[in-house]
Amino acid sequence: MRKEDAAIFTEKCIKGAPAACMDACPLMLDIRAFTALAEKGKWNAAYRVLRNATVFPAIASILCPSACETSCGRKQLGDDAVAIRLIEGACVQLAKNQKPQAFALPQKTGQIAVIGAGLAGLAAALCLAQKKYLVTVFDKNSGWGGSLRPHPRFAEINADIELQFATSDVDFRYNEEIASLGDLAGYDMVYIATGAGGNDFGLLPSWDPKLLATSAHNVFMGGSLTGMDVAAKIAQGKLFSKISDSFIQTGRALAASDDIDIGDAIYPLQADTPRAARIEPSMLSGYSEAEAKEEAARCMKCDCDNCFEQCEMLVLYRKKPKSIALEVYADSQAEPPMSSHTLTRQVYSCNICGNCKVSCPVDIDIGALLQFSRETRYEESIYIGALHDYWLREMDFSTGEASFYAAPKSGKTCRYIFFPGCQLGAHNPEHVIRSYEFLQDMDETGFFAGCCGAPAYWAGDKERMRENFERIRNVWHELDCAEFVFACATCESLFSQFLPEIPHVPLYELMANSYAISPGNIYEFASVFDPCSAYGNAAMESSVRAIAVQSGATLYELPEKNRCCGNGGHIRVADPGLYNTITRNRASMGEAPYIVYCSNCLDVFLSQNKDSVHILDIALNLPHQTVRSKIHERHENAINVKRRLIGNMNGEEFVPTTNEWDAIELVMSSTLADSIEEKLISHGDIKEAIWRAEATGDKLVDGFGVFRCSLEREVLTYWTAYKVMESGAFEVLEAYSHRMRFIRES
Amino acid sequence: MSEQKCFRCDKLLVDKKTAFLYLGRNFTHEVPCCPKCNKVYIPMSLAEGRIADVERELEDK
Repeated sequence: MRKEDAAIFTEKCIKGAPAACMDACPLMLDIRAFTALAEKGKWNAAYRVLRNATVFPAIASILCPSACETSCGRKQLGDDAVAIRLIEGACVQLAKNQKPQAFALPQKTGQIAVIGAGLAGLAAALCLAQKKYLVTVFDKNSGWGGSLRPHPRFAEINADIELQFATSDVDFRYNEEIASLGDLAGYDMVYIATGAGGNDFGLLPSWDPKLLATSAHNVFMGGSLTGMDVAAKIAQGKLFSKISDSFIQTGRALAASDDIDIGDAIYPLQADTPRAARIEPSMLSGYSEAEAKEEAARCMKCDCDNCFEQCEMLVLYRKKPKSIALEVYADSQAEPPMSSHTLTRQVYSCNICGNCKVSCPVDIDIGALLQFSRETRYEESIYIGALHDYWLREMDFSTGEASFYAAPKSGKTCRYIFFPGCQLGAHNPEHVIRSYEFLQDMDETGFFAGCCGAPAYWAGDKERMRENFERIRNVWHELDCAEFVFACATCESLFSQFLPEIPHVPLYELMANSYAISPGNIYEFASVFDPCSAYGNAAMESSVRAIAVQSGATLYELPEKNRCCGNGGHIRVADPGLYNTITRNRASMGEAPYIVYCSNCLDVFLSQNKDSVHILDIALNLPHQTVRSKIHERHENAINVKRRLIGNMNGEEFVPTTNEWDAIELVMSSTLADSIEEKLISHGDIKEAIWRAEATGDKLVDGFGVFRCSLEREVLTYWTAYKVMESGAFEVLEAYSHRMRFIRES
Repeated sequence: MSEQKCFRCDKLLVDKKTAFLYLGRNFTHEVPCCPKCNKVYIPMSLAEGRIADVERELEDK
């Protein structure tokens, strides 16, 4: 991986970039930082921020044209802009320590002449002197200030100039008018700042505003002579001191390129920001301290936090999008134990729901970045098998034992192929059987039980995905390249992305448009919970609502759509705590019962005791499913769907593959049953462990007649404690697993 | 929970240094083993306690 392969995902991110006010300020005053300090009354620190940007803080507080106010985020709310200049004035009055910093740098040899002791010339001279250049300022008048000398507050302006030059060594030559640049032949550089209408020595037409350079090799120009306002001329002085460094060393002027351009991006408003009227100063001289602090607090410190506000995962890990991209790259280069992978947990804790992109003003998809990282980790064999083992084994089952496909019973050409997805029949077989009956009544419909490959996708296993898609493509060709009918939004989303040649339609759209459907009334009031994978799937979203409305339900829209229920990205093993937080938050998004159209969403909400129903229970008038299907029940359900449909379609009897341990009867408390469900341990693994222990005697026993045994799978090792009951059944007392492998000495 | 015995060897388990392997790293830890056939016992408290902690630490490296 190259650094840019990861960086490209977040390159447009504006989090932490200058706020619009700072971008508008020629001096790039960090207004967020300045007002944050002012708000707390930290006037000395605020003064340092102000002086670093403005060079002459008191002058800025008197004369700054306040370009920042035109871009103030407050204006988006309809408020007046924050009165930065008045806060600056208070800061200058209130900061106790204003002593300029003395820079302990070695003296430089470069000699620079500045023509004009107005504000432009003074700003350039002071910045150069602070860099320890030998600076001489020439002015035809008898003192500094230039066009500011008649200003009514010149006393304050003069005091600021004196203060800022107090620790800098500059040679001021007054009453010396430079008539010809030839008079300055001994200087390495010359800066012309002779003011509006001043002498330009014939060079103004050749002036380059970016480099301040002129057609004369070492002669530069700035200030009112070039039409700049107060803030811009100080900014030019700062720029000239930077250009001097490159010019003195190399003889060439180079532009400083460290400014960040935020372009047209406008920081989005925080939805809950209250409006606040501008504080008017109670004194003629400006704000009191209390007023200045209050006005500073009006600054919204505009920054983009949209993705963070939307995502529990981003809040938990507290990394900015650009830092995440950097770590995606760094992790691809890490070589333990010399260096660590620092992003692993976060990579596998993302629901990959796309919600960050929806909320981002510049469309950054952090999920896509983390999906890219998952795929890279898989390719480079630095993935953690245990985090996705459960779902990959489920996918093996869905694409293997539980999978089958068949043409319509009539033998006629297929109009549709019903692809219910791996979870629909597993959670509720009637959803598949009855939906298929509906489709068969409507038109010639083939059937394909399989998996879209989401578990492989979220594990980052592209090869397994490719193989699965290849098989799906082959079945599609065999079934007359008919249109797929999806009940699951994840299937439809992955097909759209990876099998774009296959036409498809949501089951709910066919149902909503059919007279054969008369939805049963389950709720008077309800909210449709759209799964994350249905984002952009208007057909699915609207047809589910149409069915719900046909049932007589009044729908309340949830405050947000397409939020992930928690199941997306299969994060549950990687970060169980985060998973629980997300599922709780989604269950409490709306007070009305939820109508869902994703079996995983339903499972999540039933686990949270949220009153919820699958749209197919409504559409097909089925009993409202209120109890979750357990792992072993889901397997049995999937097999039953296959058995029933194969029997119906081909008249054949499907005989599932059997294992010697299948006949084992397990007995356990409901608490333990819930616990092993939580740990994602299947009855199949417990039965096999017990069967092997009983067959070989490779087990432990304690004084209470409790046996213990283990079963090593490819990724996990399962343990169980059990008792043999008189009936021959096995009472399970414990079941758990670990990822670490122990090595049994022989 | 009374003491565990290896069912086949009929021997009480004794604590013994055992090698563990995870994500390419090796460790040793004392766990109950059969003194004769070296059958290992990982109690639930260890699997879901210290072992789970170390697994997580290694995954985050």
